[in-house]
Amino acid sequence: MNEYVSGNASQRQRKSGSEFIGRSLPRKEDDRLLRGDGRFVDDIDLAHQLEMAVGRCPFPHARIRAIDVSRASEMIGVRHILVGSDVKKLSEPIQVLRPVPGAPPLPYYALAQDVAVHEGQAVVSVVATSRAIAEDAIEQIEIDYEPLPHVVDTLETLSDAAPLLHPDVLESNLLASNIDSNGKPDAIMAEADVVLTGRFRINRVTAFPMEGRAVLASWRPGARELAVQSSTQVPHLVRKQLAESLRLDEGEIRVVASDVGGAFGLKLGAYPEDILACLHAMALRHPVKWVEDRMEHFRASTHGREAVHDFAVAAERTGRITALTNNYTTDLGGWNSSFGSAQLSSVVFTGPYKVADARVKRSVAITNKTPIGAYRGYGQPEVNFALEVLVDRLARQLAIDPYDLRAMNMLKPTDLPWRVPSGAIYDSGDYLQSLKIAADAVDYTGHRARPRTARADGRLVGVGLSSFVERTGYASARFLANRGSQFGAHESVTLRANRSGSIDLYTGVSTFGQGSETAFAQICADVLGVDYEKIHVHAGDTAASPLNTGAFASRTLIAAAGAINKAALLFRERTFKIAAAILEASPADLDIQGDVVVLRSNHARAVSTKEIFRRAILGQGIPASDAPGLEATAFFEPTDAAFSFGTAASVVAVDPETGEFAVERFVMVHDCGKSVNPMLVEGQVRGALVQGLGAALGEELRYDRETGQLLSGSMLDYFVPTAADIPPIELLHTEVLSPVTTFGVRGVGEVGTIPPAAAIANAICDALAEFGVEISELPLTPEAVWRALRAAKTSSSLENQSEKRKTKPYEHAAE
Amino acid sequence: MGTNEIEITLQVNGEEVNADVPVRMHAADFLRHRVGVTGTHVGCEQGVCGNCTIIVDGRAVKSCLMLAAQLEGTQVQTVEGLAAGDQLNELQEAFKRNHALQCGYCTPGFLMLITSLADRPSPPSRDEIREEISGVLCRCTGYEGIIRAAEEYLLKTCVAKNGMEQLP
Repeated sequence: MNEYVSGNASQRQRKSGSEFIGRSLPRKEDDRLLRGDGRFVDDIDLAHQLEMAVGRCPFPHARIRAIDVSRASEMIGVRHILVGSDVKKLSEPIQVLRPVPGAPPLPYYALAQDVAVHEGQAVVSVVATSRAIAEDAIEQIEIDYEPLPHVVDTLETLSDAAPLLHPDVLESNLLASNIDSNGKPDAIMAEADVVLTGRFRINRVTAFPMEGRAVLASWRPGARELAVQSSTQVPHLVRKQLAESLRLDEGEIRVVASDVGGAFGLKLGAYPEDILACLHAMALRHPVKWVEDRMEHFRASTHGREAVHDFAVAAERTGRITALTNNYTTDLGGWNSSFGSAQLSSVVFTGPYKVADARVKRSVAITNKTPIGAYRGYGQPEVNFALEVLVDRLARQLAIDPYDLRAMNMLKPTDLPWRVPSGAIYDSGDYLQSLKIAADAVDYTGHRARPRTARADGRLVGVGLSSFVERTGYASARFLANRGSQFGAHESVTLRANRSGSIDLYTGVSTFGQGSETAFAQICADVLGVDYEKIHVHAGDTAASPLNTGAFASRTLIAAAGAINKAALLFRERTFKIAAAILEASPADLDIQGDVVVLRSNHARAVSTKEIFRRAILGQGIPASDAPGLEATAFFEPTDAAFSFGTAASVVAVDPETGEFAVERFVMVHDCGKSVNPMLVEGQVRGALVQGLGAALGEELRYDRETGQLLSGSMLDYFVPTAADIPPIELLHTEVLSPVTTFGVRGVGEVGTIPPAAAIANAICDALAEFGVEISELPLTPEAVWRALRAAKTSSSLENQSEKRKTKPYEHAAE
Repeated sequence: MGTNEIEITLQVNGEEVNADVPVRMHAADFLRHRVGVTGTHVGCEQGVCGNCTIIVDGRAVKSCLMLAAQLEGTQVQTVEGLAAGDQLNELQEAFKRNHALQCGYCTPGFLMLITSLADRPSPPSRDEIREEISGVLCRCTGYEGIIRAAEEYLLKTCVAKNGMEQLP
């Protein structure tokens, strides 16, 4: 195809030496955001725009007997009302993007049909000339609800006594179960020196992006064009889902996500309100805007986490772990949202440990609560809490130091690649090194050596560790197909030359804080050899980007780095071909240096990129065999996921009377392979850590068992950490390149959410070791610690184990 | 809305604005959707998240807790008023240098709140800054970059305003 270049462009080596990869360059995104010039959905007002409000079910479970909209429809300013039967006529249920293997589809329409299954489920929607009028109209709609028996507990819903929530589809409230297994864990457990079990409850939380969801839809029937401005992290996938639900062709829909005010998994796919705004817009031929308010957000945007993990670990007296089993139940809420409840616990439940005989069973339970969706970590924080707290318990039981127990069981670099029961493959890493660095950073040995007496302030000090392996990115589409996923594993990018010598980079990855515009431009500039400032990134518009997957699962850079590399090499080849003709040289002898293409052997022979791009765009002065234009599009699909890893260590001072505690130090050692922009990496890890700390220490969406109502569904009842709440955080990095990704990168967006809960719980248990305190639930509040202390004191007096408790914990087992 | 509207006159970033506003419209909605300065973002409309913080007559306020009608006769500063032409001001530059923003939604709230602290008699300590800015929520950064940017900026401005030459 190209006479100057032999071989496939993507196989060619990029030029040696990184100019931009690895540097903390200032972000492309910052200037507009610092000047208030971002473009979030509600920053856009279209001519003749109308606004939508949604009426929601106040009950956890209710039959909708009748809806009377007559008064509302007569109100001045009210333009259109939709109820469940309209929606069923006009649209299809929302399709799940990442189905639960073996689960039947639940017919999730944009408005409740005969029965609503959670507080906050959308029941009616009204469009009016203003949001205020639309909300007034909702107040005037009479809905005759018949409350039905409800169930909100994750395990109780699986009992025979629980009311059936989807009787037309399922015979119980179990959506599906999946097992991944390797070896003979049961046989080993039956024979083991020690078997320890534990039940761990992980709290329901919310991702809580500062911008809630929002949508602005316009329909031009003559053009058959539905334009949707959406606060989403997956514009191309939302386009697919809208096409399916609205019975449109994908080609008739354009989804644009300009600036998105945080996402964290919560904005991963279409929601009922997206469908509703489009249906109204199509009926009215007016733009329709819906902006979620914060009270709705707590009930209508997906929640995260909530699960119960039953773990069993078998070990030899020496401390070697021989088998692990984990039966866990995730709470789905009332419907299967686009991503549904967390699936990754099944992949990383053996953590960084060399345990070949292991089995995990995941059950998905339906309850009368807001649907759960993806949230930063997606099962990995949950399972890390359970496993790492259990590892410390095992250490106490065997009187082995928790550090030593971890070190002895960790996979060594030579054990990798290592296949876990789910079939996933840990690619590479030095897990023990991260453990050592974290322990040294908090003076772990010093803490251990000190006498275990209370400080002057009455507090006992403990130190806790949590090690983890994290799956980032997806293995190939073949892997995803086996799981029924409705998206690919690829990313894509288009590069286009401008007359000025600058380059447009088009990507379907929307911008929600992760810094992808910056990282993409760095990689592109680096591979091409042009200036970072010359790259213009255009993100998140389905009409101006090649089809892609989107930003989630810490996958963006893993896949996009490959696509950008490939596109840049193609682009460079074309550039060199034109330059070679001008310079009368061979393309193989050329190099791009900033804004000129030079002959490597003689930099005086040069032609500007501006001149080359201009010729290409005009089709003038290029080789006769060449087509005009200078543009390159590339797709890249990783063959494997990359597994990041690390260890967190915390020092916590606990008041043994009140349960009050303070996290005095928190150290995180983390490896994300090649760091494209260390400033962004630090920002991602810190941000996720604070979310992880919030979920560990205070955040909780609690439902009342008796009434089924959400008890903490407002800003006054739900604790989001402020600047005054965060403990001192120290970050340390190692850099083991991944062998399965371009440049050796691993994902970094979610990792901080994983280890905080266990590292702090273990420190608290360490501080209170003399009381035999065990922690099995999140969040870890002073009250929870006080209760754990009371429970431990009661049980120790009942069992008369006071002598046993006085033996020094963690003393090394004799040989 | 007829009688449910009221006429107000105010200064927004130094320019006079005159408008008829619905009596129930809050100041943030007024600025965003009537004046067209959309940099002020609304995060909760309950006075908790602080993302809508603006400066009214020199004081930082949560604009979702104010009615537009209360802006009558005031001087309002929003994020749009910080940069001079294309030149970011010192606080904005400090934010950029310290990676104090990610999605950028809360950023204008922090910028206005920290701007309002600039003429304190002495630079606040790190812990004082943490307390002072705890009225604005950020979900992306973990706050570290924001605290660092505020420290840098306030050290300069608070010292400068007191004519002190002393450097850290």
